[in-house]
Amino acid sequence: MGIPYFPGCTLHVKAKELDDSTRAALAALGVELAELPEWTCCGTVFPLAQNNYMGMVASARILSNAAKQGDGRLVTVCSFCYHVLKRVNFAIKNNDEARTKLKEYLEEDYDGGLSLLHPLELLRDEVGFDALRNRVGERLKGVKVACYYGCMLSRPAREMDFGAPENPTIMEEFVEALGAEPVDFPGKTKCCGSYQVLNEHELVAGRVKDIFKAASLCGSQVIITSCPLCRFNLDTFGEAENRSKIPVLYFTQLLGIALEIPIDRLGLAGQDGDPKPLLREA
Amino acid sequence: MTRVEMTLQVKEISGQNPFLCMQCGLCSAGCTGRGIMDMLPRQVMRLIQFGNAQVLDNRSIWMCTTCLTCTARCPRGIDIARVMEALRTINLRRGDGVLAPEDLAAEFLAEIPQMALTSAFRKLSA
Repeated sequence: MGIPYFPGCTLHVKAKELDDSTRAALAALGVELAELPEWTCCGTVFPLAQNNYMGMVASARILSNAAKQGDGRLVTVCSFCYHVLKRVNFAIKNNDEARTKLKEYLEEDYDGGLSLLHPLELLRDEVGFDALRNRVGERLKGVKVACYYGCMLSRPAREMDFGAPENPTIMEEFVEALGAEPVDFPGKTKCCGSYQVLNEHELVAGRVKDIFKAASLCGSQVIITSCPLCRFNLDTFGEAENRSKIPVLYFTQLLGIALEIPIDRLGLAGQDGDPKPLLREA
Repeated sequence: MTRVEMTLQVKEISGQNPFLCMQCGLCSAGCTGRGIMDMLPRQVMRLIQFGNAQVLDNRSIWMCTTCLTCTARCPRGIDIARVMEALRTINLRRGDGVLAPEDLAAEFLAEIPQMALTSAFRKLSA
């Protein structure tokens, strides 16, 4: 039995390479993921209006069903899914009214006992960064990596519990364990413009330009992310020159490269930012 | 809506006290959308304190990406992202959104990740 895993809607279609590389890389490290038998969209955004429990129902149902797997854990890798599921779980656990209303609505007796895990936390706490360091070779030695968390992983700090809200370090520790070199990247928790890609292109283009500029100034050779929307915005709105110099990868793809998993299993063929220079150097 | 009603409604929906704002501007300095906003988050907070209903018609509330940088930085502990959501919510409950499916190009829709569609329509569409 693997650890219960919620891929989310984007990972089954537009970000299949994030799903593929996550499963392949973790399997190579002896961590099996077991996709939940039934799941829906998580809702993607946590409702910020008070008492908007309808906006939490989708996530609450996923959490309640995942708890029935009996493992006590749920893994998800998409930044949006992780953000929403973790915050809804926090609300169920700590807010009596939220718990009561959602219980009544779902007719399920779930009390927020699940532990929501990001694969970075699995790599740190289950595999161990020291074990990872010993497992990977020197393929990525000297490769300068910008760790791009975006806005969803670390804020709000109390609910997400993912490190400092504007300076988490788990991804840098992961990159060090891979034998690569995390750069001091000031854009690490800046927002890429997110869903405004549908409404305000200019906003996203400006944010993406700043993020590439910051990554370039600190000598990055690759940007890694955990978010399909960050990846899409950077790939779509990044200027061609930047994209060819600094490809954007999922952190699981970089992990897969370090573990010498064939690149077709990591979804690296035919992507927009060309990762080949990185692979050649690696 | 009277001035008092507007401010009370924002307080109720956001669960935040706008009168805690001391106009320091940290929210605006770090805001993702500041480059294209007509009114910075600090100014939005000020208009709410005055009960000025013009704040409901400003474009900035629709440019917010709910990245929570303002919330993380506010020295008065105001969850400003919730205040922006309250202003959007008042509009959305009246049927006034800014995003319409028919305005989106089909070829763009074919490329965009599903999560962007769901989140944008939840935030910006009535």
